Amino acid sequence: MKTEAVAVTGLVKRYGKSVAVADLTLAIPDGAIWGLLGPNGAGKTTTFRCLLGLVQPNAGEITFWGRSYSYRIFTDVAYVPEQSTLYEWMRGREYLEFTRRAHPSYDSSLARTLLDRFDLDPNKRVRELSKGERTALMVVMAFARHPRLLILDEPTSGLDPIHQRHVLDLVVESAATGATVLFSSHQITHIERAADRVSILKNGRLLLNESVDSLKERQKVIEATFEREVPPLNGVARDPRIARVDRMGKVLRLHVHDRVHEIVHELERMSPTSITVIDCNLEDIFMDAIAVGAPHPSG
Amino acid sequence: MATIFTVDPRSGVPLYVQLRDQMKRAVALGVLSPGERLPTVKALALELTINPNTVARVYRELENEGVIETSPGRGSFVARGQGRQSAVEACGDVARAVIADAIRHVRALGLERALIREIVDDEIARWYAPALEKR
Repeated sequence: MKTEAVAVTGLVKRYGKSVAVADLTLAIPDGAIWGLLGPNGAGKTTTFRCLLGLVQPNAGEITFWGRSYSYRIFTDVAYVPEQSTLYEWMRGREYLEFTRRAHPSYDSSLARTLLDRFDLDPNKRVRELSKGERTALMVVMAFARHPRLLILDEPTSGLDPIHQRHVLDLVVESAATGATVLFSSHQITHIERAADRVSILKNGRLLLNESVDSLKERQKVIEATFEREVPPLNGVARDPRIARVDRMGKVLRLHVHDRVHEIVHELERMSPTSITVIDCNLEDIFMDAIAVGAPHPSG
Repeated sequence: MATIFTVDPRSGVPLYVQLRDQMKRAVALGVLSPGERLPTVKALALELTINPNTVARVYRELENEGVIETSPGRGSFVARGQGRQSAVEACGDVARAVIADAIRHVRALGLERALIREIVDDEIARWYAPALEKR
C-alpha cells in the first residue's frame, strides 16, 4: 500500500468549552491534492494548525509519511496561513533570503519566475503590500522550496482571478511532480478543478470525505412532475438514499445520494408525467451536506 | 501547447467523464488521427488546470476501450487500426444516453410510440442521407 503523506486519527481540539475539531480522522495519500471545504468556524484552520504543531491537540495522532512529527518532517512541509504572519517592516526579498538560508531545497530561479508571475516587487515592505500581494508572497515562499507537502489555508484569498489561476497551476504542477497538497478554499470551483478528494467539515466534524468525481456521479436530484398533486410516496421517502424530499404541488424533487436509477425506476411506477435527473455540482453537494449536517460514512 | 479539450469544473458531470467523452468524440470524428501522439498526463493536467489523476484515469479507461495506446517511455497515441472504430463504438453509450433522454422527454409530452418512431426515422433519413454519409 502507498504510504500516506498525512494520517490523522481521532484528532480533538477544544478551546475552553467549545469544540473546534471533534474526532477527525483523515488519510491523505502521497501525491494527492486534497480539498477542505466548510463554513467559517468549521475547524479547517485549527486542523491545519494542529498538523503543523502550532497548537497542541487535546487528543489524537498525526503522522507524516508514517512517522510522528519531527524537525526533519517539518522541513518538508510548507504552510501558507490564511492570515498573513509577515512582519510589516520586512521586505519581500528579505523573506526570500530567509527562506533560502533555512531551506537547502530553495530554488532561486523558480522564486524569480514566481515573483514575476504574481507581479510582486520584492523591494517593497510588507506594509506596502495589499492583502492579495501578501498571500502571493507567502505562496512564492512556500512553492520555491519544492516541499513534499503543502498545507495551504485559503491560498487564493485577496488575489485577482488571474493570480488565483496561477496558484492553482502551481498546485497541479506540484502534484504532478509528486508533492502532496492539502488546501482549503471558499472558492468551491478551485476544489472542483484541482482536488482528487474533498472533505467537508462543519462544527469540527467530517460530513463528507470522498472523490469529487464520485460525489458528482452518486448525488443527483430527481425531479418528477405529476398530473395532479404529488401522490403519497409510501416506502420511497423512507429510503436512506434519499436525503431530502421537496414537494411543490405537482412537482416532486428528491435529493438522492446513491443508486439514482433504482429510485427513478420506483418513481416511474407512480406514473409521473415526466422525470428528469439533474446533475449536482460541488456547490450543490456542499450546500446539501451543510444543510443536512448528519455525519456521512466515508466513501 | 494548446489543447482542443475544455472542461467545465462547475458542471455536475464528473471531470473525468467530460474529458473522456470529448477524447472519444475527437477520435471518432477523426479530429485526432490514428497514431497521433497525445499530450502526457502531466502536460494535459497543466493545460487544463485539473488534477493529474483525473487525466491518468481518462487515459486508462480509453486504453481499456482500445481507443488509445500507451507504450512505456514513448507516451500515449491514438490507437492505430481499430482505434477509430473502438471510439465510435465507445460513443455508443453517449448516444444511448442522449436518445433515452430525448425519448423520455417526448413521452412526457404524451406522444404515441408510433409518432416517436416516425420522427426518429425521419431524422435518421435526414442525417444519414447519402450526401452526408462520411463513412
